Amino acid sequence: MSKHDEGRRAFLVGAVGAGAVASTNLVQTAYAKTPVRAPVHQPPPKTAEAPDTSVIDNGDAHGAFFNDDNAATVAALAERLMPSAPGKPGAHDAGVLNYIDLALAGAYADQQDFYRRGLAQLDAYCRKAHNQPFVKLGPAQQDEVIGAMEQGKASEFTYPTAPAFFNTLRTHTMEGMFADPVYGGNKDFAGWRLVGFPGTQLYYTSADMASKQAFTRAPIIGLQSQAKAPTRKV
Amino acid sequence: MAIEKTDVVIVGMGAVGGVMAAELGKAGLKVIGLERGPRLKTADFTLDELRYFQRKDLRPSPKTQPVTWRPNANTPSFRLPQMDYGNQAGGGTVHYGAVSWRLHEDDFRARSHTIERYGISAIPEDSSVADWPLSYAELEPFYDRIEYDIGVSGKAGNLQGRKIDGGNVFEAPRQREYPLPALTKDQPSVLFEGAAQKLGYHPFSTPHAILSQAYKGRPACTYCTYCQAFGCYIGAKSSILVSKLPEADATGNLTLKTGAMCYRINTKGKRATGVSYYGPDGSDNTIEADIVIVGTFIYDNTRLLLLSKTDEFPSGLANSSGQVGKHIMAHMMPNVFVGFDDRHVNTYMGPSAQKYTIDDFNADNFDHGGMGFMRGAQISVGTPNLEGGPISFSTIAPPPGTPRWGTAYHEFLGKYFTRHAAMVGQTENLAYPDQTIDLDPNTRDAWGLPAPRLTYDWRRPNETARVEFMMQKMEGIGRAMGGNVVWRGPLSPGMPGAHHEGGTRMGNDPNTSVVNKYGQTWDIHNLFVVGSSTFPSMSGFNPTLTIEALAMFSADAIASKYKKSPGPLL
Repeated sequence: MSKHDEGRRAFLVGAVGAGAVASTNLVQTAYAKTPVRAPVHQPPPKTAEAPDTSVIDNGDAHGAFFNDDNAATVAALAERLMPSAPGKPGAHDAGVLNYIDLALAGAYADQQDFYRRGLAQLDAYCRKAHNQPFVKLGPAQQDEVIGAMEQGKASEFTYPTAPAFFNTLRTHTMEGMFADPVYGGNKDFAGWRLVGFPGTQLYYTSADMASKQAFTRAPIIGLQSQAKAPTRKV
Repeated sequence: MAIEKTDVVIVGMGAVGGVMAAELGKAGLKVIGLERGPRLKTADFTLDELRYFQRKDLRPSPKTQPVTWRPNANTPSFRLPQMDYGNQAGGGTVHYGAVSWRLHEDDFRARSHTIERYGISAIPEDSSVADWPLSYAELEPFYDRIEYDIGVSGKAGNLQGRKIDGGNVFEAPRQREYPLPALTKDQPSVLFEGAAQKLGYHPFSTPHAILSQAYKGRPACTYCTYCQAFGCYIGAKSSILVSKLPEADATGNLTLKTGAMCYRINTKGKRATGVSYYGPDGSDNTIEADIVIVGTFIYDNTRLLLLSKTDEFPSGLANSSGQVGKHIMAHMMPNVFVGFDDRHVNTYMGPSAQKYTIDDFNADNFDHGGMGFMRGAQISVGTPNLEGGPISFSTIAPPPGTPRWGTAYHEFLGKYFTRHAAMVGQTENLAYPDQTIDLDPNTRDAWGLPAPRLTYDWRRPNETARVEFMMQKMEGIGRAMGGNVVWRGPLSPGMPGAHHEGGTRMGNDPNTSVVNKYGQTWDIHNLFVVGSSTFPSMSGFNPTLTIEALAMFSADAIASKYKKSPGPLL
């Protein structure tokens, strides 16, 4: 817990304890740290007044765990589970692959072998049933393969079983969509924008609670960043 | 090997340990509290659904602290994938949804009340449902004290016998109002209230140990999303961590040891001499105490008695009755979900567990004649999994016809996250003697101790009939709420749900119970077991406030009677 964090927490406790819920975005602003958007593989900006804040598209980023082939397969699987549509972000937009890659290198390190074996079995099944690796199949065939896994009808699976591998992929895809961006997915709040979740708001007012509309009073907030809420289609 | 001496040692510093440490400390007794987890601070808690809801931070790890389950004694056990109780000072109250009930008067005499109204045939032959050895009236002063000590928000529905609309008109009479007014309603609560009234039921704001106004130096709730499953980031949830533990500290009589895994209660003949525990460094330590209090979750209350067997007690300490580990219960939580096409209801706002409730179908508040089951359920509206974030929403089964992935599911999530509500029927399941906890011969924890093994299957005729009845009631409410889509969630394949009770049941007869109403074991008068493990029946209500009131009741008896003349209290 940094001094900064303690400060904003004390501020909020004071404000709320006094019965005066802050009416501005001051609290929210104090909560979020400076957005982390360091450019990658680019020289630092030369001039102070024009910092380069461009964001490298890392929707298919990996490097902590997966090899390139497995990364491509997981990215394709995740995109079929949560496919993007116009104005509605999907797995690629949210950087689900990056989330899973980092999780397997860290918190889920005990599932590395589960993934390696699952992906190898998937590859064997796709080559047997369709003469192609998963990434070479069209969307309809990919959905067919995923459906066969979900229902336990895909051959070539022993450990993990096809449904177990499907369920884990599905769970981790949802985590990559909806966990705080600090974990490497939900990029630019893509998942939260999809569902209309404003994130780690520190408070809702009585008016917010009484509203029958989508919440747009404050920016979307994450543990390390925030972004202006888009006008949401009702 | 360190040896320390104290007046009282308490194993587990959660709802029971925190209350008893505060009350016994005030009575001048020196207390050592053992807690296997850490002691966290309000400043430690962040707003992070992945960490606390999904990855279960604040819960015991199933890897280092496994619990196994099997549906019956003829099937192999396997590890439960996740735990729902606490693993730090404050115990489960740190992450709980803070729903805070007093039990009904007839909850204390579920057996005799049922016989009086419906006859003995209304009780399933194989059920061991039993009356409590104390009445609501005896516990009422302690309910009152704990509500005011920690801060509970709600509206009375029965003040000294006077029924009050807007509160729970089915509640047992209380001497005075709640210390704090009810929490602010969210939109699903507004719709639930209207629907329930239209159907002739009696809806009200669920009482919560969450501050609706500043209280005792703690701030009011800010209605953020991060409630059940999380530690409250400003301490507005009245957990034991922020209420009774500071009180215990202030007595100057509490030494709280964290990272302390108690593995045995030591005895000499029929007297407890203290406990032994492993420290965070792996050291093997002993505490000598005049009074030993076991106040862990029900798994470890039973396990510790079984692990501490002696020549005098070959089947487990304080188990001359043979009842240790039997009659366990757990709430089933059948869900009905409601989706709205014409409005947002933003159920992610505000306290997330069981926000608004009807008590019309709980306990014996309705005529069970011809129903095929006894006792009822609390029906409440709130969030899926009692947690309102998008990861939680992604775990629920979508309506029939909607797949769990792909384009149609992506659309479902995008449309209904802000337009759904979840109802839950928290059913009072009966006690049965073959619903048990024992030691698993095949699974050990990180300390090398055998894991607790549950043998339990809720799918009995009485229980399945009750679940079906509640599902239909919830579907009716969902339609009356104006839901465009109303659908049922799937039921668990037999394993216990939320809020476990039993294993060291209390009673009036040493031959059929483990402890008396004070939690004092019949066999060893300076050994107390306190918590929901002593419940002879469970009620459809969340147990924590009753656990805390019982801890107050026991501490009062120890301070006022046992301290002066140690011996059997009854």
